Amino acid sequence: MDHNVYIPKLAKIIQIKEEVGGARAIKTFRTVFTNGHGFDHRCGQCAMLSVFGKGESMISISSSPLVKDYLQFSILKMGRVTSALHEMEVGDLIGIRGPYGNGFPLDRWKGKKLLFIGGGIGLAPIWSVLQTALANKGEYGDLTLIYGARTSKDIVFKEELADLKNKMTVFLSIDVAEPGWEEFVGFVPQNVLDKKPAPANTIAITCGPPIMIKFVIKALKDLTFEDQQIYTTVENKMKCGIGKCGRCNIGLHYVCKDGPVYSWAELKRLPQEY
Amino acid sequence: MKTPETLSGEMMEKILEKRSLPSWVKKLDSWTVYAPRKDENERWNYDIAGSDSVGLDFTVTTLPAKALIFPQREIFLEFLKTAAENRETLEVKEVLPGEKPVVIFGVRPCDAKAISLLDKVFSGDFVDPYYWTRRKQTILVGLACGTPPWENCFCLSTEGSPHSEEGLDILLTDLGDRYFVKTLTENGEKLVNRAKDLFKEPRPEDKKKVKAVHAEAEKKIVRGIKGVKKDLAAKLRGMFDSPLWDEESMSCLRCGICTYLCPSCHCFDINDEVDSVSPLHGKRVRTWDNCQFPDFTMHSSGHNPRPDKASRLRQRLFHKFQYFVETYDKIMCTGCGRCVSLCPVGIDIIKVLDKVSDHGS
Repeated sequence: MDHNVYIPKLAKIIQIKEEVGGARAIKTFRTVFTNGHGFDHRCGQCAMLSVFGKGESMISISSSPLVKDYLQFSILKMGRVTSALHEMEVGDLIGIRGPYGNGFPLDRWKGKKLLFIGGGIGLAPIWSVLQTALANKGEYGDLTLIYGARTSKDIVFKEELADLKNKMTVFLSIDVAEPGWEEFVGFVPQNVLDKKPAPANTIAITCGPPIMIKFVIKALKDLTFEDQQIYTTVENKMKCGIGKCGRCNIGLHYVCKDGPVYSWAELKRLPQEY
Repeated sequence: MKTPETLSGEMMEKILEKRSLPSWVKKLDSWTVYAPRKDENERWNYDIAGSDSVGLDFTVTTLPAKALIFPQREIFLEFLKTAAENRETLEVKEVLPGEKPVVIFGVRPCDAKAISLLDKVFSGDFVDPYYWTRRKQTILVGLACGTPPWENCFCLSTEGSPHSEEGLDILLTDLGDRYFVKTLTENGEKLVNRAKDLFKEPRPEDKKKVKAVHAEAEKKIVRGIKGVKKDLAAKLRGMFDSPLWDEESMSCLRCGICTYLCPSCHCFDINDEVDSVSPLHGKRVRTWDNCQFPDFTMHSSGHNPRPDKASRLRQRLFHKFQYFVETYDKIMCTGCGRCVSLCPVGIDIIKVLDKVSDHGS
């Protein structure tokens, strides 16, 4: 019998960082497989994380494939499994199976400028591709990040973003003004229109809440980006992760297997079931 | 992983006297034999049969034969967490189905064809080991329908027939006092060879009678859908936003009978069940799930991409008659009629599909 696709590998949590506290809590977990043998993933792929006794949840891998020492997941506390993950401590064991999904076609983007546009926890799926592009900076044109959250407290990867400003262009925003905030105030799509990134030889990658993605795409279209220059990720409820349990489909696409990454040219042709 | 061998050197055609059926079953002692039996609620369902209890005078089972290969509930794995001297260990044990092979007698051709569709779903880039462990050790002995089991059979519209061989290892045709036995795979031959003496060569008039029984059965099927595979898929593609789905789903109770009893529906759920908290001990279980339930697609945030009955009826029809057709070039419906006959409010997939065919014409 070949490897059983439903059996997760055991992994130990080696680091937990609280990114955001409060009602919309986000924590970043680093894990290593207990048998030392993990898997190779592509930027934008996901993994099914198990908290035994609670169940499984599909989470995007936020570490770059270039990082071999650990896998990183940034997780918003939301349902049964993610709440249980937030209760866990360094040294605790979880299960991981995957990697799943198509990932970003980074190879096809060589020589192009990359414009990352994220909102809230949406920076997690972007982080893997952003870090990979950054590590191979010479192979791409200018790298730019436009990222926003509801409040300054809701911004994830705060220290990493401060460091990132030394390496590439970073524009941040929060929805409502706060004392001491010196960057843009307003929604992410408004910041996109404010910064007016040029579409020439550029790929825009956007992840975030569905409503943000919708208006970011509209903003990019206003800035004359072509559909095939815009990439995004989709999420739906998943159980199997391998295109069999039947719930994450958008038309005949199973997001777990055929997604989660779509160009707008592809996604606009699919029914609005996400 | 390989899928089962379906090719054989040559198929065999034999005759088995009806009274010899128990003797045949008696010889099949290395298999667990299932056959239809009436349960306490007067419904036909598969049950373990012995030589004294095997019979094939049934209409159609309430649960399709798929339930013996893809059961309503099955354990994927067991987990046990123990803590000793401040060191936590977690043991995860794969639980694969037992290896005792199975013969199912009395599989209706529609249900066998549906299993051949499930074969596609559980293969591909990710092979499902639970499904295939059972599938590879299961031999399907079909029984051609002499009379359609109920008034809503429509297999002729779904590329099937009352005597379709697809998915089967043996097809039996009832000729009154005898069965005409046609082996279709090596596994089928194996079953016949276990009791060679019981099988006789068919006479020319037996073969003639088989043809007549098959032709007669086809004539007795009264229901059918107007559209054919490609036309329906093309029509549906343009009807995603049609008001039809809202109209047709108005009476739906969300009971899920249509998909739970469907021989080709494969959607499932995976959940953890905890037996004890300390030490943590439990299992991960797969159960059938249902696209007609709101929870099926609801995100933990509360957002639901298929929030209403209309979008869920549409999903059932689109999955069967468009998505599956475009993916596998097969309709994911075998015309068994269960969803039509058993829907408590009378939602009739045949009528809905005919409205699709008539749409815009």
